[in-house]
Amino acid sequence: MDAQPDLAVVEAMNTTGLVVRNLVKTYRIGRRGTVTALDGIDLDVPNGSLVSIVGVSGCGKSTLLAIAGGLETATSGTVEIDGARIVGPGPDRGMVFQSYSLYPWKTVRENVAFGLECAGWPRAERDDRVAELLGVTGLSSFASLLPRELSGGMRQRVAIARALAPGPDVLLLDEPFGALDAQTKRAMQEFLLSVWHRTATTILLVTHDVEEAVYLSQRVYVLAARPGRVRSAIDLPFGRDRGPLVRRDPRFLDLRDEIEDLLTTPALAEEVAS
Amino acid sequence: MAPVRTVAAGRAAMAPPLPEVGEVGEVGRRAPVRGQRQSALLRLRGEISPALRLALAGAGVISLLGLWQLMATVWASEGFAVPTIGATVAALQELWRSGDLSADLSASSQRIAIGYAASFAIGAAIGVAVGSFRSVEAFVEPQLGFLRYIPATALTPLLLIWLGIDEAPKVALILLGTVFYNALMVGDVVRSVPGPLINAAYTLGAGRWTVLRRVVLPHSWPGMLDVARINLAAAWLMLVVAELLAANDGLAFRIIRAQRFRRIDRMFALLLVFGLIGAASDLFLRWMRNRTSPWSRP
Repeated sequence: MDAQPDLAVVEAMNTTGLVVRNLVKTYRIGRRGTVTALDGIDLDVPNGSLVSIVGVSGCGKSTLLAIAGGLETATSGTVEIDGARIVGPGPDRGMVFQSYSLYPWKTVRENVAFGLECAGWPRAERDDRVAELLGVTGLSSFASLLPRELSGGMRQRVAIARALAPGPDVLLLDEPFGALDAQTKRAMQEFLLSVWHRTATTILLVTHDVEEAVYLSQRVYVLAARPGRVRSAIDLPFGRDRGPLVRRDPRFLDLRDEIEDLLTTPALAEEVAS
Repeated sequence: MAPVRTVAAGRAAMAPPLPEVGEVGEVGRRAPVRGQRQSALLRLRGEISPALRLALAGAGVISLLGLWQLMATVWASEGFAVPTIGATVAALQELWRSGDLSADLSASSQRIAIGYAASFAIGAAIGVAVGSFRSVEAFVEPQLGFLRYIPATALTPLLLIWLGIDEAPKVALILLGTVFYNALMVGDVVRSVPGPLINAAYTLGAGRWTVLRRVVLPHSWPGMLDVARINLAAAWLMLVVAELLAANDGLAFRIIRAQRFRRIDRMFALLLVFGLIGAASDLFLRWMRNRTSPWSRP
């Protein structure tokens, strides 16, 4: 796949962003055995871009995201943001998990405010920021509800709003829509695009849904499993202002099928590639 | 639209024809049914109405009282004396009027309050540490695993030698008899805080202390109250052992006194008091749980 000018130009203009170099993660299993979850991963997520990582389960994509979030440590290799190496979690990288990450005893408003409280924002500014985010995410009328009173899609909106609140440089999304039904998932994808447009946050999305990755991102990294490694990096030709019609674009369908093939028939794909 | 219709027609052609209206339920034949009907009362996990629930609870209490009255009137004999409900209530009134009951209640409650409060405070502190830090878990788990299998009641003679016969050994016995269970069970509650809740807090900029205070503790609080409620029964057990061996007041001491005078009606009255205190504290702690953590109500 040829690199499309869109992202390549951005990359040439500014070399900053999230950069993963030669990342290796091995786990010890039992007494002597080790498992290599990630084997020499290189990734580039330019500032302001939306990049996806797709792979079958067990390819280490969630581990990769956890390392970027600072929740796990790499065996070797580095993850840097704007030249600063990541050594632990911080509010500069907002994370959204697949499920169970809202505080069930806090209202929507309190959940979104949590990161701001941690950062010691004064009360008035905090309230303003929370109101702003609830507006952006369309949650204003749900502000006083508890998470259990919300649907799955709404909960993930709250999780995204909460992650955005401290104004992170990068948003790390770990299969955020994986547990949602198909219709809700589509609505949430539109929602994510609108959030991306409005906030201009860099987004790294991990998903096993190829169509989702192709629809949302400017670049897709396809991971192979056991050990997890980058099989292919594909820059997508669709502009930032894509709409649902892109899904019917022949190029969209070709790219989707191509990536789908890379995932489902690894041996064949490897042969074709070589 | 056209291809969809074709598919539908294809399926309909393959499926067996639908029965004509009126074919089922004709005279002399019962309408066929499929599946087994299940009664709400006997279905596993079946829902019952609130009214039925209340009625069954009332019937449960009445049947227990009925059994008691039956034992007192029909099966009781010289060697197996059982006071009637009326006699027991009369004995209870007598104990209350003499002032003994309120003195015993306050003596026993005080022992429980001090011993169990200390037990829960220490147990919860250990449990939170065990559930939060793998290092503490590794250090403490084998000790708890050993110590909790020493029956606390077996320590009573030792406590009497070390601490004399005043309040100290009684409080110590309540503490020792419950603290390990509180620690282990609170540890389980804290361990069950979902990982993503903790990780989300870290990525929102929370430090370890903030995560503990603002995430782990609030999420564990209802579970900790449940632990307190469950182990409170063991605290009363320890109290009775302590008071039976050496005491000058207290509910269990009063039972021993009643035994000396063969006042079986008084013994029953005191057992009734134990049961009522237990049920009341259980209700209170449940109410507290729902009051302080409405989000965790099932």
